Amino acid sequence: MWHDGNEWELSKENVQPLRQGRVMSTLQEALAQQDASSHTAIQQQKQEFESEIRFYSGDDPLDVWDRYIKWTEQTFPQGGKESNLSAVLERAVKALHEQHRYYQDLRYLSLWLKFGNCCSEPLDLYSYLHSQEIGTSLALFYVTWAEELEARGNYKKADLIFQEGIQRKADPLDKLQSHHRQFQARVSRHIIQGLEEESNDEEEFSLPGLAEPQRSSLADLKGKGKKTMKAPISRVGDALKGHSILNQSSQQMSNGPNFAVFDENTASASGTEFPVLTPQPWAALPAARAKENELRAGPWNSGRRPRSNMNCGAEVPCVLPAFTPYVEESAQQQVITPCKIEPSINFVLSVRKPGKEEDPLQRVQNHQQDTEDKKEVVMYCKEKVYAGVEEFSLEEIRAEIYRKKAKKRREEEFWAIAQKKEEMQKKIKELERMLRDTRDNQQQRTHEQVTLLFSFSGEGYLLSQRPTVPFSIFDESSASISQNVSCPLGLPQKSVHRPLAVRKPSESTTSKESTPPEACNELNGIEPLIEDAILTGSYKNKTLCANPEDTCDFVRAAHLASTPFHGVGLQRIQTPTDPESLLKKECPESKNMCLSQQIPACEGTYSEALCIKKLSPIMEASQEDACSSGSSVSSRSSISSVTQISTIKYLHIPEKLELIQSLPVEMASDPRDDSTNLLWTTEKCKKLLNPLPELLTTSPDFYLETGPMPLMELEKEIELGNEIYSIKREYWTNEDDKMFFAVLANSAQLGAKGFAIKVYFQPAPWDFYITLQLQERLNTDFDQSFSENCSCFLYQDGCVVLHRKINCYTLSDVIQSCKTIGEEVIMLVAYNLLDLVEKLHKAEIVHGHLRPEVLFLGDRLCGLFGNSEITNALKIVDFSHSLDLRLQPKVSLLSFPMGQTQHGQQILAKCDLPCHVDLISIADIVHLMMFGEHLHVYQENSLWKINQNLSKSVESDFWSKFFGKILNADGKSTALTLRELREEMSGMFDASFQERLHYSFYHLGEFALPLV
Amino acid sequence: MAKQQSREQGITLRGSADIVAEFFSYGINSILYQRGIYPPETFTRAQQYGLTLLVTADPELQRYLCSVVDQLKDWLYKCSVQRLVVVISSIESNEVLERWQFDIECDKTAKDESAPRDKSQKAIQDEIRSVIRQITATVTFLPLLETSCAFDLLIYTDKDLVVPEKWEESGPQFIANSEEVRLRSFTTTIHKVNSIVAYKKDSFP
Repeated sequence: MWHDGNEWELSKENVQPLRQGRVMSTLQEALAQQDASSHTAIQQQKQEFESEIRFYSGDDPLDVWDRYIKWTEQTFPQGGKESNLSAVLERAVKALHEQHRYYQDLRYLSLWLKFGNCCSEPLDLYSYLHSQEIGTSLALFYVTWAEELEARGNYKKADLIFQEGIQRKADPLDKLQSHHRQFQARVSRHIIQGLEEESNDEEEFSLPGLAEPQRSSLADLKGKGKKTMKAPISRVGDALKGHSILNQSSQQMSNGPNFAVFDENTASASGTEFPVLTPQPWAALPAARAKENELRAGPWNSGRRPRSNMNCGAEVPCVLPAFTPYVEESAQQQVITPCKIEPSINFVLSVRKPGKEEDPLQRVQNHQQDTEDKKEVVMYCKEKVYAGVEEFSLEEIRAEIYRKKAKKRREEEFWAIAQKKEEMQKKIKELERMLRDTRDNQQQRTHEQVTLLFSFSGEGYLLSQRPTVPFSIFDESSASISQNVSCPLGLPQKSVHRPLAVRKPSESTTSKESTPPEACNELNGIEPLIEDAILTGSYKNKTLCANPEDTCDFVRAAHLASTPFHGVGLQRIQTPTDPESLLKKECPESKNMCLSQQIPACEGTYSEALCIKKLSPIMEASQEDACSSGSSVSSRSSISSVTQISTIKYLHIPEKLELIQSLPVEMASDPRDDSTNLLWTTEKCKKLLNPLPELLTTSPDFYLETGPMPLMELEKEIELGNEIYSIKREYWTNEDDKMFFAVLANSAQLGAKGFAIKVYFQPAPWDFYITLQLQERLNTDFDQSFSENCSCFLYQDGCVVLHRKINCYTLSDVIQSCKTIGEEVIMLVAYNLLDLVEKLHKAEIVHGHLRPEVLFLGDRLCGLFGNSEITNALKIVDFSHSLDLRLQPKVSLLSFPMGQTQHGQQILAKCDLPCHVDLISIADIVHLMMFGEHLHVYQENSLWKINQNLSKSVESDFWSKFFGKILNADGKSTALTLRELREEMSGMFDASFQERLHYSFYHLGEFALPLV
Repeated sequence: MAKQQSREQGITLRGSADIVAEFFSYGINSILYQRGIYPPETFTRAQQYGLTLLVTADPELQRYLCSVVDQLKDWLYKCSVQRLVVVISSIESNEVLERWQFDIECDKTAKDESAPRDKSQKAIQDEIRSVIRQITATVTFLPLLETSCAFDLLIYTDKDLVVPEKWEESGPQFIANSEEVRLRSFTTTIHKVNSIVAYKKDSFP
């Protein structure tokens, strides 16, 4: 008849009642599993909780414990050893004991109260809680305490407890008051009954009904007894109380003295005899844990009557104040340990008895004591091993950490991919739009020849006006030249093809010109596939432009192209280097010939380049092949004359090629002469003066090394000075310089701080020069925003500048890894940026190329979240493009990298001070942080404005003012503009800002910077 | 209180109504006792269905229950009752804490039949016994009733029924966010009683 699903009915005696009830499904499951030998599911869940406790990273550890305990209660209906509930509770209250913020938390209090049920003397626990101020603002605490006292008949104390609770306005007060009222009603009923019985007693004194009183006293004992009567009490508390009262009423013949004495007390004492409940120090030890089958010494055995400050002989010991039971306990202990028990809690440790199980409460107190005066330092993650109830092995912990990391990594990857995808989609759309625009143009001039390739770069309009001749000439010549060169020298066929492959598209496009719309269609049809293909890497090894007809590859290539592809705005013209350098490398002996032959080709490309300031995807792709440096920083100015460009070009060809002939004089080994070579404008070179070397050479941090510069690459170790550094990270690399992050090779530690190594391929330490100049000119203002501790190593063919104590991360890491950056952080960065640039300008230095990559995070940002005393959030060490105004007061603004960008061109065209370059860079960086994209501007009433809508930001007023000022700083001294802005900002750094900043940092803290 | 069907052969409509009404009488008493709605001392023992059950000795409560059960019996006979609900709510907050719901399925064809159904009384009693046992066993999962509570009896009848004196219409008094446990059911072949207890799902994990 009993079918499945009704186990609960059969084992009702095996299920402990719970105050909040049980979930039927859990109960069924638990009961069904009872006989099943494996409890794997339960064990697994338990393990999950255990590990959650250890690796919880949120801000509410109590929640985990709370859920763990509730789960335990539900899952182990019969309680008992298996459930380990008491141990879990004990561990929980211990673990959270230091968290004072939980002291008035209802959940924490209920943990304690549940724990109290596991203790032999809940009353002790209550007074302990009282002394520790745990839950003293909660009504539940007083109600529970008073109920326990009431159940033991100590009405006076119970009332006192209620009163204290009401006095303290425990929450919820109305509940407490109603409990109090009910309590009073019960007590008064009790007293009245007592009186009645007394009178009855007197009347019927002669009655031989003595059996009745005896039974009553028995019942009394039982009712107040320790453990035996507990079950009914905890099951239906109200009913039980009623029961006891009604029992009394039904037993009209009960013994009088009980009540008579009690009554007297109330009459005479009424509070005076009882000390007012005060939070007293936890005076004595609680009794040992009550266990089943444990022989328990009764209070009578000691031969001492429990002391009591009230004179009520008939009152059973339970009515006594909470502390009395310990007298006996300690007396016993004194036999074992001669050590005197100090009444203060601080010395509880001394009375620990060996071999005897302590009361959990006592253990908790001991634990608290332990933590207070702990002297030894644990050298392993003890708190993790023992955090939960079960012990974790170190391997388990390690595994957990590993799993977490792996998960995080996966998520990050996923996120990065998603972001990339999004970015690409955006670009694709942009390109599409452009394509459409150009198509319109093309349709207007179908008679002219246009290359699809260039139309991608948005320059089709310009090109379309040119006849096709230059292209065809170029293609043929470059092809034929390389063939000419290679054939006699036996150059591998492959290298011949490369330049061809690079140029081919222009051929192919010429053939396509007649049908541009189809090309577009084709492209459109393919586009959706693009991102996936790229992400999955299927294009990695594919030869670009294998099929000359397939222009889609170009679009893909544009996205494949590494980091600095900033949309159409930022473009470079580096292509021409590649075929050359490639050739150079492979046939060093024939350099003269090569060069002479290459020059016309260069001219060809440059005449093209003059018109095209945009990146063509192929070019970049081929650059990677040419391994000359695929990168970002300097874009060649296409404005200078062809010959100048060609000379510069050759500077980038690796040193071993020794291209001295092709270089101008500056290439000599004397740094005095060519310290300027490195500068990317020839104007600068000319204007640099001679005193430089003295300033440099006299510096104590300047080391002249003989011999060639060591090869520096990622993951290599290099020796500089007397130290060996191992390079951990590459920030950028281009033909002029490289920036690395390194740590000392012998220190295994991967700290966030290390060394920034700037490598120049020319023996001209411009960074070092600027840093020294700054130091000299700024004096006291030269602070942590700059590299205070740097050394320069000058080699024959290059130089290395070593900056010490640099954080590994740059602002661009932050921008890349955070989806949104808190406005406070942006504010902080902007503020520091203004400060930094103001200092630079004061020292008459123009940085020239401020961008997120060069801004290393200062201690304020990187130590995250650190203290607000450290003010510098940024550090700048790179000055490749800097301009010393004392040396070169006039330069063409467009020759700065900024001049190559869309917004830069727009704005710089109208102003002439080089300082403005930095201002626009600041605007660009802030813009990048706020909107995740580069600055886009438009002009309105002769004022520059940004396209983005600022109204979403909190300080929109400020930001619009900020951009307004910084973009329209014509004529004014930049230092002044910067100071004004900075002062305005400093007004915003109030106390609440600090708070919000910390909050933002906290969120920022969640971003994971790539570890070196 | 309730007269027992003495006929062993089969179950008639009237007999079935008697049995079911009697079950409710004992069932409600059991709930009141088990859930501590009234002090346990006000209950006395009674042997029924082979079990020792506790029934109230409080005369007023007896009277009230009697009147309800009599009315119920009448409706059972007319097959116009659909459900009986014992609602236990807190006196202080009036919040419904428990809801014992007994769905009654009446076989209305029995009204026209004259022949008794074939089911032994012992079998029915066995079924009833197991329901009562389950009511007793619910202490394993029901939450503790911490405040003093009152109970209320709701009877769902057919719509066309005239509301008798002393009765009034009421809402269903559902418990928001409740956990439901289905108990056993029994049938007299004419009346089938399905029982469900719903209780407040408070702070379960």
